[in-house]
Amino acid sequence: MAILRANLALTFKRLLRQPGFWVPTILFPAMLYAFFGAQTAGGGSAAVYAAASFAVYAVLGVAFFQFGVSIAEDRQSAFAVWQRSLPARPFASWAARLCAALVFSIAAVALVLVTARLVGGLHIDAAVQVRLVAVCLILTIPATFMGTALGYLASRHSVVAMANLIFLPMAYLGGLWVPPPALPAQINAISQWTPTRHMGEVAWAAVDGRALPDASIMALLVFTVGFFALTWLAYNRDRRSRFG
Amino acid sequence: MDAMTGRTATVPAISAQGLGKRFGRIEALADLSLELSRGEALGLIGTNGAGKTTALTLLQGLRRADTGKAEIFGHPAGSVKARRHVGITPQNADFPEQMSAREVLTYAAAHFDRPKPVGELVAAFGLERLIDRRMDGFSGGELRRVALALAFVGNPALVFADEPTAGLDTGGQDMFKAYARAYVEGGGSLLLTSHHWDEIEHICDRIVMIDRGRLLLEGTLDDIRRKAGRNRISFTAPDGVSPPPWVNELFEQNAQRWSTVSADSDAVVKRLIADLPALQDVHIEPLDLKETIAQLQMERTI
Repeated sequence: MAILRANLALTFKRLLRQPGFWVPTILFPAMLYAFFGAQTAGGGSAAVYAAASFAVYAVLGVAFFQFGVSIAEDRQSAFAVWQRSLPARPFASWAARLCAALVFSIAAVALVLVTARLVGGLHIDAAVQVRLVAVCLILTIPATFMGTALGYLASRHSVVAMANLIFLPMAYLGGLWVPPPALPAQINAISQWTPTRHMGEVAWAAVDGRALPDASIMALLVFTVGFFALTWLAYNRDRRSRFG
Repeated sequence: MDAMTGRTATVPAISAQGLGKRFGRIEALADLSLELSRGEALGLIGTNGAGKTTALTLLQGLRRADTGKAEIFGHPAGSVKARRHVGITPQNADFPEQMSAREVLTYAAAHFDRPKPVGELVAAFGLERLIDRRMDGFSGGELRRVALALAFVGNPALVFADEPTAGLDTGGQDMFKAYARAYVEGGGSLLLTSHHWDEIEHICDRIVMIDRGRLLLEGTLDDIRRKAGRNRISFTAPDGVSPPPWVNELFEQNAQRWSTVSADSDAVVKRLIADLPALQDVHIEPLDLKETIAQLQMERTI
């Protein structure tokens, strides 16, 4: 327990003392919603859908920038190598990272909802908001594996560029910025094959009060297993090259 | 039973047999066997690229050996049980710059059952001014002091110190020497690599020298000096006294002080006294580690 507490303290202090990390991660989704989502949606159910889209976008941002970037930077640092000499299994460090991701995801999603209320004048039912936050927390699982795989595949020098190169097109292709019906037909066809589209479908169902779509749940399970396998392979490759 | 490790006191701190490691075509370490007892300090020396750091990473369990095996207090190197007894100075003091030295030391201490009070290490390594400051503004030497404190904060029974004083000022080097020696005299075991050979001489009971991944020399400093079989002889010649020609040939002169290295110091001093009765302040001293190794290398004994 003391080891977990120590890892939580280390993880949160490091992140909170880097405004360069948490300001964009938490503020950007809400800011983009205020600039584009609220305006284009024009109020009503479309604006609620847009809020759900930007909530998913927020979860992805935390996964890519907290997991992806921080893992890539940490794993090549001498401090991380030294941490391996401490008498603990990696569980505590992973748990602390996951806990931080959940907290930052909740904060980012909550800020999108607050912005929707203040800027878009949306009145989303409290139960719907809770449902959306709960769905977003579940969506952190596939998103986290995506970010983690990136963290073990990219170098510390290239990871920010790679994260943006994957994260931004994925958000667009998934219909998180522009609603799927408004996407060009060819893009919409590609969209069906992206994890972000299925994350969006699940979030839109959550705010719509519909049952979560089975096809998207299945697709997300497949993506989660796939990204987990990719993370495992990348992690072992990295381990062999540095500690083998 | 040993109070620090909970293992029988006969189990060595380090026991390694036939360790070998290749990186592609390069053989970084070949068939290295060594043992470190409790309460002993072992100096691992060699030139850059000799294989010291590779040996250390294998013993620490941070890399896997291709051949051989290593145990720490009877546990496989790198296992959690082994790591409970081990403190390590990171060779590159690259700490999270958002954290203070106290926060990193407290973080490390949380992993051990009976850590040392941070205050003790603050005093031992001169961290008073630095301990609560964020490390983003620390100089290399200041970070190095934190790295030294980190190795000892868990109150470990074995410390690996890989070039611990590289980049550290002389005050810091002296602090480390004093603390490390007291740690060993208090029953701790230390494996030290350093290019500061005076540090090795001051702290270590025994020395292992490796070259191109292979063991070259092993023994106590006295054993190694005996192997070199030389002493340094020095004396002062008073003003107006000119030494005989054989002294001019054998000795080097630095102002009024003359010195040489000899395998038969007694005979040389007897002859000096006979030929130069006015000489003053005669010293016969063992060679220091650097001179001893240089002598052995010159004679191709190693």
